[in-house]
Amino acid sequence: MEESEDVPKDFIKLKSEKLSVDEVSELVVSPSCGAVSLFIGTTRNNFKGRKVIRLEYEAYSSMAETEIKKICRYVRQKWPSVKHIAVHHRLGLNFKKRKNGRKKPMSGGLIYSKVWNSNICVVPITEASVIIAVSSPHRVESLEAVTYCINTLKASVPIWKKEIYEDEYSWKENKECFWANSEK
Amino acid sequence: HFPRCPGSRDRRDVSVLYFARSAELAGLRCETLSVPREITSLQLWEEIVKVHPRLAVIRDQVVFAVRQEYVLLGDQVLVLQPGDEVAIIPPISGG
Repeated sequence: MEESEDVPKDFIKLKSEKLSVDEVSELVVSPSCGAVSLFIGTTRNNFKGRKVIRLEYEAYSSMAETEIKKICRYVRQKWPSVKHIAVHHRLGLNFKKRKNGRKKPMSGGLIYSKVWNSNICVVPITEASVIIAVSSPHRVESLEAVTYCINTLKASVPIWKKEIYEDEYSWKENKECFWANSEK
Repeated sequence: HFPRCPGSRDRRDVSVLYFARSAELAGLRCETLSVPREITSLQLWEEIVKVHPRLAVIRDQVVFAVRQEYVLLGDQVLVLQPGDEVAIIPPISGG
């Protein structure tokens, strides 16, 4: 690899397909870095005793990318030795319309929703909802940067998760969200 | 081009985006609304609730994103341009 090709990069992806830890780690590996720190957010199969059947995600995609870019900018300011940052988040809703209205299992975890006449991303339990990887020459910076990334993502990136139970559903609310009603 | 209504010089067409619970309550994901060009964020909320009264129940839980910047519901004065995106943002749950 040429020296000039190893410029610091941010890799931001919102996708409906299953996330890959290998893919995300490989994005940030660098010859100048002795450390790659990783965070994987997974999903639990129960909430307050109720069984979670599946999750549905929704995002304000353009703003979510912008907010994640802001996080990356701050990371580089605070930890200048950080080399590469990768943030991959699973998400769902897009507005493709199906003319025939038939339910069609799509690749990448998309199913057709009659309610919205569009595709939604369905994520099975225990699959990763987010993977964050940061590389740096020494481990302290990438470990701190990854922590900062996930904490700030939960506070500021416009992505929503809906838990579907057997008989009802619930829109989740991060406690980090500064405008949320805390009594939930 | 259709003729404008009297008094519409001070109004602007904005794209309102609804997400998560707010989309369920409003029954749609996006629409164009004509709102006053200069308006506080709280007044903007009230304009939107006039169109979708069911949204009133989440008033204490939402913020706006105007041109993709968060704005609390309150006295902040917004100056809106035609085509500006105004999103209703319920409590987030990314990550």
